[in-house]
Amino acid sequence: MESSSNSSSEEFELDPVFLNSRREAWCILGVWFLCLIWAVPVSYLMGYGRELTPGNVPTILGMPTWIFWGIVLPWLAADVITTWLCFRYIRNDNLGVSPEELAEAGGSDAIAKETV
Amino acid sequence: MTTSVLLAEGSNAALVTFLIYTLAVFGIAALSNQLLKSKSFISEYFLGSRGLGVWAFALTFAATSSSGGSFTGFPAKIYTHGWILALWIGSYMVVPICTMGLIGKRLNQVARTSGAITIPDVLRDRFNSARFGLLTVVLIVFFMSFNLVAQFKAGALILKVLLNDVDIFESFSLSVAEWTSGVGFFGSDSQYLVCLLFFGVAVIAYTTYGGFHAVVWTDVMQGVVMVVGVLILLPLALSAVGGLDRATQEMSKMTPPMRGYGVVEIGDSATDISYLDKDDWLQMETDGSTRVFRVAAAKTINPGTKTVYGVELLEITTPSEVERILAGETPSDFVEGMAVTQFSDSQARFGEAVFKSDSAVTLAAYSLVTYELNGQKQLIQTVTDVTLDPGIEKTISVEIPPGKNEVAVESINGITVSNVSTRSVSYAHGSNTPGVYVTGPGPSATDSLGFLSLSVAISFFFMWAISGAGQPSNMVRLMAFKDTLTLRRAIFTVAIYYTCIYVPLVFIFCCARVLVPGMETEPDRIMPEIAVYLTNGIGAAWLGGLLIAAPFAAVMSTVDSFLLMISSAMVRDIYQRNINPDASEGTIKKLSYLCTLVVGSAAMIVAINPPNFLQDIIVYVGSGLAACFLAPVVFLLYWPRSNVQGCTTGMLAGFAAHFSMYVMGAFVNDSFFRPYQLLNFDPIIIGLVVSFTVTYFATLATPAPPQELVRKYFYRRVEN
Repeated sequence: MESSSNSSSEEFELDPVFLNSRREAWCILGVWFLCLIWAVPVSYLMGYGRELTPGNVPTILGMPTWIFWGIVLPWLAADVITTWLCFRYIRNDNLGVSPEELAEAGGSDAIAKETV
Repeated sequence: MTTSVLLAEGSNAALVTFLIYTLAVFGIAALSNQLLKSKSFISEYFLGSRGLGVWAFALTFAATSSSGGSFTGFPAKIYTHGWILALWIGSYMVVPICTMGLIGKRLNQVARTSGAITIPDVLRDRFNSARFGLLTVVLIVFFMSFNLVAQFKAGALILKVLLNDVDIFESFSLSVAEWTSGVGFFGSDSQYLVCLLFFGVAVIAYTTYGGFHAVVWTDVMQGVVMVVGVLILLPLALSAVGGLDRATQEMSKMTPPMRGYGVVEIGDSATDISYLDKDDWLQMETDGSTRVFRVAAAKTINPGTKTVYGVELLEITTPSEVERILAGETPSDFVEGMAVTQFSDSQARFGEAVFKSDSAVTLAAYSLVTYELNGQKQLIQTVTDVTLDPGIEKTISVEIPPGKNEVAVESINGITVSNVSTRSVSYAHGSNTPGVYVTGPGPSATDSLGFLSLSVAISFFFMWAISGAGQPSNMVRLMAFKDTLTLRRAIFTVAIYYTCIYVPLVFIFCCARVLVPGMETEPDRIMPEIAVYLTNGIGAAWLGGLLIAAPFAAVMSTVDSFLLMISSAMVRDIYQRNINPDASEGTIKKLSYLCTLVVGSAAMIVAINPPNFLQDIIVYVGSGLAACFLAPVVFLLYWPRSNVQGCTTGMLAGFAAHFSMYVMGAFVNDSFFRPYQLLNFDPIIIGLVVSFTVTYFATLATPAPPQELVRKYFYRRVEN
């Protein structure tokens, strides 16, 4: 972890909330990109410009097959990944106390420590 | 003739349910006003004291993001373009995790560290720059004001659809029409005016009185109404259509309708009919077969008239659909004693043009007039009898017939024709093509590439998921949750919520395409129309009232949030932080009430004569805000090297790049709201790329930020 010090030799380190948030943001961007490269190409390759017989369209659970493989399945996968991110990956961090919260609570003893 | 969606089968149950819902909103405002008395006013009024729990945070976020578009525009698009809308909305699979997770935790922390209550507060304090704060205020007020007017109009239009044909509403509207007659400012549509007043007063009152908590709690109720409505509609729709597979197979046989002008003959049995109502059904017998039409625009019939020219019609072109309509399997009552005898050629174009003549002229229906376009002589055809007064411009319905030229036919000269606006009778993509509703890119009336080309599909993955994270109305909610546990649970809740809303909506309105044909005349009405159709089927009209409250709720929850954002920008960011930092809480309180009231009233007054292009304004504002705010906010949260010069430059560059695409559209496509698409991508992509790139390089080219600011927001003291 990076650290710095000032003239009065106080030691500082990078805020873990910042580091955790940044790490989580990169992971979330990766999930977004994964969904993009799943949903759009699969839908395009399976669902665009297809010749089909009216009244006899191949379906899965009643929807056109390209909708199932290109949208519904990645949507369910995204829900599973989101659940994992929410309950396993994203950390509980102490977000601090705002000035007005401090004022209302009447002092520094109001600073609640969350589990990190 | 059409009937009110709230007066299904002559019952008032739906209307009563709807009114109870509206009263509940006021009850919530009264409760939340009590909270204002026990907390710091400005933090409570504009930010709910940073204390939102899981359900409140999740549902206010979800309801604010789902504007009226989710329950009016989106169903209309599914109905009009078919299954392709699943891909159009597909990125909502990651919208909750992206819009809440990308910046949520960090933004909340930075806001707490600085004590920020609004988004301009955060940006100003992060760089300790009043100028940067004021720039963000200007941009927020600029964009949000446009959007507020557009959303007021959307709310009034939805209410007008819902109240259509309710006796008390009609008689009150007539009275209003008498009171306002002769005052041009109030326009000619008294029903719209009444709905705007009702909607506007309701939203302004509960937002002003209750503040942020009223907005949040009503959002929670509205969010519940929306998801319950969708989950009730789904089994009803699937049951009515005979299963999703049947809906898909029926859709695969469908071809897009044709829209143009026709001639209607009136038989003896219809002599007492004085008008053709919008959505009336008509037939045309040709060569032993029957063609089916729906009236697309109401038409007055003069007494004694036997032939009505220039009736705007929509022809149903799918044979199996025509069979079901004629067999009475769909809600389509034909007007007795009337028949279509002539309809546009499928190669024709139809629309409007401005005519002007130096002398008084009367043109009979289907007169051919010569005009010049790009130096070439063209022919245009009137579709009704037209009288032109000397020197006065008149907008009239026209058709450009195919295969005729000035040599072959006799035309009328001496008339100036301008502002010709026409489009093909047939769809530009998908006409006469079975299967177009179940494959990509989907049918389009105006775009020959289809509804959703590959590049546009990619653009929408950016549009919903990434640009959603850059909306200040979403950001302010991210500053209001209680702790990270709340954030994590709320992201999960919204993910499930959106799955329960958007996937079923696609299923429901694909079924609606089969169940209620011919709604292309006014597709925005499909949501209330299908709600009433399905609930009447099970004899539960009150349920219809609850279901059609969903789109109304969606618009309300968006308007109240925007209203509060604008007033907070004025009271907190301009008055308290720049003009009078020592203002007492009493002064701030009075000013907050006054500002919310004034801003809301001003938007309502402007919405009396609102601009057109409702959906286009909403898209312009949403993408414009993302182009301005996303890059600076991401950099200031995650990059210690970021500085005020870089973020200011990036914000202005994003604004300029996005705006320039729209300005170029005005020149290239003849309309500001048909933006130029560089490399076929939506302006949001261009705006975001420019904004991120410029912010990055401008930051590197300018001095590093002061060390104390970097320490304050990125470091913490090491505890020994």
